[in-house]
Amino acid sequence: MKRHDLATAATWTGMLLLLLVTVFPFYWMLNTSLKPQSEVFLSPPTFVSSSWTLAGYARVLATRAVGRFFWNSAVVSVGSTLLAMLLSALAAYGFSRFRMRWERPLVLLLLFTQMLPGTLLIIPYFQLMANLGLINTYLALILAYASFALPFSTWMLIGFFRSIPLELDEAAMVDGCGRIKAFWRVILPLCLPGLVAVAIFTFLLAWNAYVFALVLTTDPKMFPLSVGIANMMGEYQVVWNEMMAAAVLATLPVLILYGFLERYLVQGITAGAVKG
Amino acid sequence: MTNRKSDGWAKWGVSRRQVLQGLAAAAATTAVAGSRVVSGAAPAARSGSIVLQYQTANLTEAQYEPVWKAIIAKFEAQNPNIKVEPILVARKDHWTKFVTASKANQAPDVVSVDIATAAYNGYLRPLDDLWQAEPASYRQAWTADAIKTASWQGKFYGLPSWGGIYGEIYNKEMVKQAGLDLSKPPATWNEYLDWSKRLTREGQQWALAILAGKTDSTTRMLLMWIWSNGGEAFNADMTQATFAGNPKSLEALEFYLNLDLVHKVVAPGAASINYLEQTNLFAQQKIASMRNAYWGVAKVVGDNPAIKDKIAVAFPPMNADKKVTMATMAADSISKDCKHVEAAWKFVKFVNDREWGIRRALVSNWMPMRTDLATDPEVKKDPTLVQFLEYGTVARAYPLPHPLWADIAANDIVAATQSALLRRMSVKDAFTKLDADLNKKFKEM
Amino acid sequence: MPQAGWLGRGLRRERWLGYLFVAPMLLFLLGIIILPLAHAFVTSLYREAGVNVRFVGLQNYTRLLDDTAFWNSLRVSVVFTAACVGLHLAIGMPVALFLNTLRRGRTTIRLAFLTPWMVTPVIGAIAWVWLLDPHFGVVNHLLRSVGLIAANQVWLGEPALALWSVIAVDVWRGFPFVMLILLAGLQTVPKEEYEAASIDGAGALQRFLFVTLPHLRYLLVVATTLDVINTIRTFDIVAVMTRGGPINATEVLPVLIFNTAFQANRFGPAAAIGVILLALLLVFSSLYILVLQSERSGATAP
Repeated sequence: MKRHDLATAATWTGMLLLLLVTVFPFYWMLNTSLKPQSEVFLSPPTFVSSSWTLAGYARVLATRAVGRFFWNSAVVSVGSTLLAMLLSALAAYGFSRFRMRWERPLVLLLLFTQMLPGTLLIIPYFQLMANLGLINTYLALILAYASFALPFSTWMLIGFFRSIPLELDEAAMVDGCGRIKAFWRVILPLCLPGLVAVAIFTFLLAWNAYVFALVLTTDPKMFPLSVGIANMMGEYQVVWNEMMAAAVLATLPVLILYGFLERYLVQGITAGAVKG
Repeated sequence: MTNRKSDGWAKWGVSRRQVLQGLAAAAATTAVAGSRVVSGAAPAARSGSIVLQYQTANLTEAQYEPVWKAIIAKFEAQNPNIKVEPILVARKDHWTKFVTASKANQAPDVVSVDIATAAYNGYLRPLDDLWQAEPASYRQAWTADAIKTASWQGKFYGLPSWGGIYGEIYNKEMVKQAGLDLSKPPATWNEYLDWSKRLTREGQQWALAILAGKTDSTTRMLLMWIWSNGGEAFNADMTQATFAGNPKSLEALEFYLNLDLVHKVVAPGAASINYLEQTNLFAQQKIASMRNAYWGVAKVVGDNPAIKDKIAVAFPPMNADKKVTMATMAADSISKDCKHVEAAWKFVKFVNDREWGIRRALVSNWMPMRTDLATDPEVKKDPTLVQFLEYGTVARAYPLPHPLWADIAANDIVAATQSALLRRMSVKDAFTKLDADLNKKFKEM
Repeated sequence: MPQAGWLGRGLRRERWLGYLFVAPMLLFLLGIIILPLAHAFVTSLYREAGVNVRFVGLQNYTRLLDDTAFWNSLRVSVVFTAACVGLHLAIGMPVALFLNTLRRGRTTIRLAFLTPWMVTPVIGAIAWVWLLDPHFGVVNHLLRSVGLIAANQVWLGEPALALWSVIAVDVWRGFPFVMLILLAGLQTVPKEEYEAASIDGAGALQRFLFVTLPHLRYLLVVATTLDVINTIRTFDIVAVMTRGGPINATEVLPVLIFNTAFQANRFGPAAAIGVILLALLLVFSSLYILVLQSERSGATAP
């Protein structure tokens, strides 16, 4: 049994060490953001400081429209999520309930779009949006991000739908619902964990996106968080405490939100991914 | 008639209606928020009002912020029917955004970009007609040389706005501690090497930092050292590269890079050092000297106010008879997509007014391109500014007029420098290969 | 209820309904992705020289065969992807196993492990640039304090170090998601099998190899393939940290595409590289689908 205890102790030590490395950058972000400008470049760097101050935050909030960036990110993320959920749920239902001749190629097409590198698409996508007059609009970003999220979302939901027996559909239809009503009232609710997982996944994808927003928004009022903050990294000047303050402001709400929602994500992945 | 048995949502404790309402609310909010801001973000559609988009890499630099904000405020006050919309973008993304927008015929109206490359690719509108329409008394403020640097294939593309003149900036305190005398700064290479050795204490401080990061600042340094030896990096019409081909150029490159490879008086990590890291090191007193323009002083003082009184400027060390340094130049251009050319030109001229030239010089430490500012009493109050302006009289223009400049200066030339510094190849081999690669690129154009 | 091998028993007159459900998504993808993709492919057939754009057919592609930058980038991408995906799994699996055995505090610790994945990659990369600063960064300071390194390392300034730094940041950011998927899979392994194996005298390692892994095989294949596809396309982290340098040591294919298009202004050749990257991914996914089919048919056997 001693060997077992040693193994357990070693495992716990290893895991704790890994945990430490995983969260250390956040601590350092926070630490740097609270330092006054004069302390940022101290060598050796300080881990705790008696002169911690919120001055960095004050300056960031005063000089950068962080609130605005937040709002932009939120609108785009929610919009993409709704759109992706709608399209992928409909499509997944179609794939799982009906035998179609083109099913295999269509699923392949789905997978194909999953593979497209963003940098290949930027210029033609920008031109498309410019021709439609959609530069500097939320819609352009919503459409792009929803399209990126669709393949994985659909795939996950197909797994979910497939786990629901056909008999339920037929029972509902016997009860007097049409196909669409059966979909809406009976099948969809059973997939709620999957839907929530899809929603979380898409939201995160949209929230974190960078290159497309960089190119598709020229008006600073329309920058999402990722672009707004990356802008602070001037080639000639980076004020690290302000930079980290902005990073903390951008990260903290997401961490809190996902702290609450994480459970659903896990449920969703458990159910959907495993049943694929 | 809701058949509870078939209402699956009941399982989750919500009714179908609630779910529908929730989704509808979310969608509606998004749509409203989206459309409302779209109309808010779109240019003011007041009849007769014009919106000019203005993009330069400096709008996100803290040094420049007070100046450009004042410029726009005053311009809009004087021209109530014109609104100027600044496009903020980090320097490293500035060219990317401009190119993407140009490809979709939506480039910002007034931009400050590398003229040769932008004009070659057809992104800019020639300004000859507007320029010639100005009275000669106005046009005189710019030297013929400045106008030539802002031209491409005979056409004029941008009003030279400001620049940087390079000198050698020293930390007085560190110099004194090494027992050296700043009243006689190093004027030759050998003196500079001697000083560098005395200013270096392994692991603690170094004499200088070599820039070898992936920006064109690396190339600027190389060119200055090459010129200081009487060498040339290219032939007269920019069709051949002579980094290694010209023996004086190669000698200069070897001396400069050997400061790191042989003498070890250089701060470590050159391949990751750009302007930012160099000025950081100087501000934190890790290096005793930096080859930089006056704006470097404003930057380090901003980083570390205590260093303000420790700054001294001298002419860079030479190894040839003629003194020469570098003057970079930024010009304001009008993009080919601009639909309000007259308003844009008005703004371009406004930005280049005497008042702003002086403000830029004093606040952001940028050298004015107008020749009628050197005698301005405001300007003369700043002795360092005057010193730099003096250096400017023997300065050569940068960037070099080649359509591929933006590419080769930040890529090929940097790669060669890094190869040499990281000891992948000898200095001679690295730059011989560079010459070959560049000549191939030029031919394939 | 056996659901594998779903064949669909939609009524004949309702078969078109299937297409109706799928149509919105397809039309959407057509407009937003396929059209721009076609445009990009057409672009790859042209070459620009300033304002002159001329049709060169497949010349952009054939030129890549001689292009050292392309082959270097391909090599870097392969190394980067293999290392990242390998480490995602190598770290994700033990953590998932560990979390699976926890009784108390599982949610909190799981959340803690998930945090890097929730951060926007660009922001995480910026934070790491600061952490890895050669002179003022805390990583050098810490490693020197514990004696792991003798002098300050220039993490992003030496080719090999830069590549591994970028890999490390991607692993930091990417392993949580793989861990999550694996954890989900672990929870479907029936406990009885573990008990049966223990009774049979199997040790921890043997239980892992003969009970856990077989159950996870399908999931592992799926997770790995998706991870490979995603990792090859990584752009943000590399662009922020090194922009492909030093000496192109970290220039993965997406970064090469970006640099070729926007720094060198060569959009035709850039599009060609993009199409090739796409083709590579297609080949890879075909393998994935083949494996998937065999796994699926293997899994239906009772």
